[in-house]
Amino acid sequence: MRKGTKLLLLAAVALAGAACLSALGCGPAMAAPLEPTDSGAPSAIVIFPVGEKPNPKAAAMPPVAFNHVVHEKWMSRANKDCMVCHHTGDPIACTTCHTIEGSPEGGNITLERAMHAVKIAPRKDGTPSSCVSCHENTMKQRNCAGCHGQLVRNARESDKWCVVCHSITPRMTAQQLQAGIQGKLPDGVNEQLAAETAAARPHTKYWSPMVAPYKVEISALSGKYEPCVFNHRHHVADLMARVKNSELAQAFHNDPATMCVTCHHHSPASTTPPKCSSCHSIGIDKEHPGRPSLMAAYHLQCMNCHKDMNVARPRNTDCTTCHKLRPVQGASK
Amino acid sequence: MNRRKFLAILSASGIVSALGTAKVAKSAPHTFPYYEDSYGVLHDTTRCIGCRRCEAACQQVNNLPMPEKPFTDLEVTSTRRRTTAYAWTVVNKYEVNSRPYFRKLQCFHCNDPACASACFAKCFSKLPDGAVVYDGSQCVGCRYCMVACPFNIPGFQYDLAWDPLVQKCTFCEPRLKEGKLPGCVEACPVDAITFGRRSDLIKIARARMAENPGKYVNYVYGEHDAGGTAWMVLVPAAGAPAGPVDDAAVTGSEMEQMGLDAHLGSQPMGELTYGALGAVPMIVAFWPVVFGGAYAITKRREAMNRAAAEAAVNDARNDVAAAVDAAVRKIEETEGQAAADRARRAMTEALKAREEEAHGGNK
Repeated sequence: MRKGTKLLLLAAVALAGAACLSALGCGPAMAAPLEPTDSGAPSAIVIFPVGEKPNPKAAAMPPVAFNHVVHEKWMSRANKDCMVCHHTGDPIACTTCHTIEGSPEGGNITLERAMHAVKIAPRKDGTPSSCVSCHENTMKQRNCAGCHGQLVRNARESDKWCVVCHSITPRMTAQQLQAGIQGKLPDGVNEQLAAETAAARPHTKYWSPMVAPYKVEISALSGKYEPCVFNHRHHVADLMARVKNSELAQAFHNDPATMCVTCHHHSPASTTPPKCSSCHSIGIDKEHPGRPSLMAAYHLQCMNCHKDMNVARPRNTDCTTCHKLRPVQGASK
Repeated sequence: MNRRKFLAILSASGIVSALGTAKVAKSAPHTFPYYEDSYGVLHDTTRCIGCRRCEAACQQVNNLPMPEKPFTDLEVTSTRRRTTAYAWTVVNKYEVNSRPYFRKLQCFHCNDPACASACFAKCFSKLPDGAVVYDGSQCVGCRYCMVACPFNIPGFQYDLAWDPLVQKCTFCEPRLKEGKLPGCVEACPVDAITFGRRSDLIKIARARMAENPGKYVNYVYGEHDAGGTAWMVLVPAAGAPAGPVDDAAVTGSEMEQMGLDAHLGSQPMGELTYGALGAVPMIVAFWPVVFGGAYAITKRREAMNRAAAEAAVNDARNDVAAAVDAAVRKIEETEGQAAADRARRAMTEALKAREEEAHGGNK
């Protein structure tokens, strides 16, 4: 009897544990309702590709579920007002003026341009921002600039980039889509679809720094200097800590390997990436004269990131901070 | 020589000299052929960290004297140093919109070098591998090359009393021949200087601009400047540009801040003078012949005229003497010896008086 109780208890604990694990592992928590906004505007809205021409097949990018509350909170943190987006001063929907074809009210600026333009001509009465231009400006801050300053600028050419915004809950019906395209969807339905989509957005978990080596000894070029002992884990963990609280990073860093691919570039994301010397040769590479040599590849990668992230030390010319000078013992170079 | 002849000669010589000049000017770009496969170096100033490793390597591979301040002293980059006879490359710091950037200075190894066009001793030559090399065996020390260089590169051994030479970067020509990289290129820890075929480097430069929008000024310095150079420079764009950066004024200002002269034009420096200087041999060869010939013809004609006039005068004089003889002989026959002598004397005196009268009138 005693034994039976114990077994039962153990089984119960195991079941509970399994339930907990599966609940954690089942990915997106189901439809946690979004916080309300301070301004009283809807917490999320679907931006449909509104056009004047009939579009029975809904030939356009999928609608965007815009998380209004996240953006509003960020604006208030950054001491900005609604005018950054609602540049006319009237908090109306973007698609009122900016349609698929563009309309005279919107200065004939199409919906696509209004959302994606990055080179916006300055206006006398305040220059409006597009989604992309504001996101790119945000990435210029110190915590993002290391990666986004040099190498991941072209991320927006990949399909993964589009789908971050252009995705909508599968519960949206074709009729609702048509109504949305024609601008006739009731606000309540719109907000409900948006809230569902926004709540169901996946929260990508990065690969843990623990799967990568703690320290890496870079010794392929040692000669005049001792090998460089690179604290790999510290660098990865630091980068992750810097973007931990950024909603923008959480939304767009939608690949577990995101934090690896800036340095381990031009190769498929993997926990066992190719060595730098697989592509960067020690001497001049006749096949690829423009490719940095191995020494330059290391130095450029380290120095550019440190420069963009405003890392004051070590200075670029403090050679011995990273690799100690080897005592001269007949070593020529 | 009369006026018509003078004008004819002048116009003939004018046409000849014009033809000669035109021919020389037309052939000028071929003075230094463009070598398709020549080497060059692309200097990306956005990469340079100002470590002076290139300077140290240059000193080492070329056995140059050690500078006063050691290569580890990086403060010297803040001054606007120039290349000298003993420092063939220097790295200086430039502020581009108050951000520090470094640029390496050395011979640009022009496609059509101004130093070579200015040198009358033919000390400089552009080699097919891209190097502009100097052979001091004929150098007279005139330093015209230093005046001609648009980049102020050649240095002169002012400290040598005997046989001072002009010295500048050789593109490590001896090392290239051995299949090695130039010393500075090999030493650069960040590949701020990329060695390669000049044609490849231009493609690499364009590719870097395309991959890094807004990072560089949309201009490869040296692609066309001063007729094109083997060493080319990429210049950082100042800050985040709001619009397209191919605006000439914007380009000019960043170039200026990097100490690069953007107003050299795309014409080789030498071409400015090839036309005028090319006419010099023609003038030396033809003008003496033309004008000397005209002078000789005139002189000969004058001599001939003078000879003819003298002959006529002699003839006339002989005629008079013969007439006097005949008259005297007649008087001798008819009136005797004494009368004849008297008449001869009288006639001679009369002739002399008339001649004197004529001379006086001429004068």
